[in-house]
Amino acid sequence: MKNRVTEILGTEYPVIQGGMAWVAEHRLAAAVSNAGGLGIIGAASAPAGVVREEICKCRELTDRPFGVNIMLLNPNADEVAKIVTEEGVKVVTTGAGNPGKYMELWKNAGVKVIPVVASTAMAVMMERAGADAVVAEGMESGGHIGVTTSFALIPQVADAVSIPVIAAGGIADGRGMAAAFLLGAEGIQMGTRFVAAKESIVHPAYKERIIKAKDIDSTVTGTGTGHPVRCLKNRMTREYLRLEQEGADFMELEKLTLGSLKKAVMDGDVVNGTLMAGQIAGLIKKEESCSDIVKGIVMEAERLMKGTDNG
Amino acid sequence: MFEKLVAIIEEQLNVEGVEITMDSDFKKDLNADSLDLFELVMALEEEFDVEIPSEKLESLTTVGAVVEYMKEKGIEI
Repeated sequence: MKNRVTEILGTEYPVIQGGMAWVAEHRLAAAVSNAGGLGIIGAASAPAGVVREEICKCRELTDRPFGVNIMLLNPNADEVAKIVTEEGVKVVTTGAGNPGKYMELWKNAGVKVIPVVASTAMAVMMERAGADAVVAEGMESGGHIGVTTSFALIPQVADAVSIPVIAAGGIADGRGMAAAFLLGAEGIQMGTRFVAAKESIVHPAYKERIIKAKDIDSTVTGTGTGHPVRCLKNRMTREYLRLEQEGADFMELEKLTLGSLKKAVMDGDVVNGTLMAGQIAGLIKKEESCSDIVKGIVMEAERLMKGTDNG
Repeated sequence: MFEKLVAIIEEQLNVEGVEITMDSDFKKDLNADSLDLFELVMALEEEFDVEIPSEKLESLTTVGAVVEYMKEKGIEI
């Protein structure tokens, strides 16, 4: 499948793996890239030196392009922004903010820049600032979310910009990919599906929760603090939502979630950890290799799109 | 002109009835999130026929900062 997105990414398929904190490390990224998609190392709040190591280790596992996701709210963002240029990373995706101030640095280094956006206005600003594409992420997705659904967001962003739109949020199979393409997307980004992949280092207990999840098993914490996060329901989310309703202050809520994602990913604490996952988790039925995931989804999407403008 | 700016801010941030002064901080006083600020900037660009590059957004935290920026661009508010 060749289109503008595969051209930008330098990949076989227009499929990107989300830059999930703790989860998107070099083994998963390399596996997705080797499968023909674009693997992503999620810099999140990792120290800059660790990000550089992850990039080097990923390069040992794949000759294909991969990217780095930079969380712009993190204090390490300035340093990581420089490291990607020094290490010759091909693609940067950005989250949690406005990457405007790094654009010149990255463009001069030949890095392709793909900001994650949650509104058309942000997409338009990013296009004007020189972005090569945007990831339009609906609120179905796991982790930090916006307010608009993918179904509504994708066609509106696709109409608002002329650079390619990559759809994210609520996609886990070929039907989702085909639907996104019919809405105007030219690529997809998936997170939850890859959390449950064989090559994902996520603790088996966390993967099991995703595989067993039903359609209504996710909830959103942090709406009141302005940083909503989607994750699977457990004791932590029940406690969090109860405190939030009682009007607990930010610090008290923060105590519950501090280090809780790491607890889930590394220790498999499915009771007190934050099990970030999208609404589509219910569709994921088994642990598969990245190669089977990527190729299976693209083949199904191509079959479904035959006879359409995208076929 | 300041009334016009206030009207745009009110409309974009849905803050009718809240007092808006030069010191009003978009995030702290007017409860704007980062997406709201993108909307606001797009609306200001259209109204005042000026381009505000995205890297400028970070420094435009208050109403006064916007007025100052417009002045630099030769637009008196």
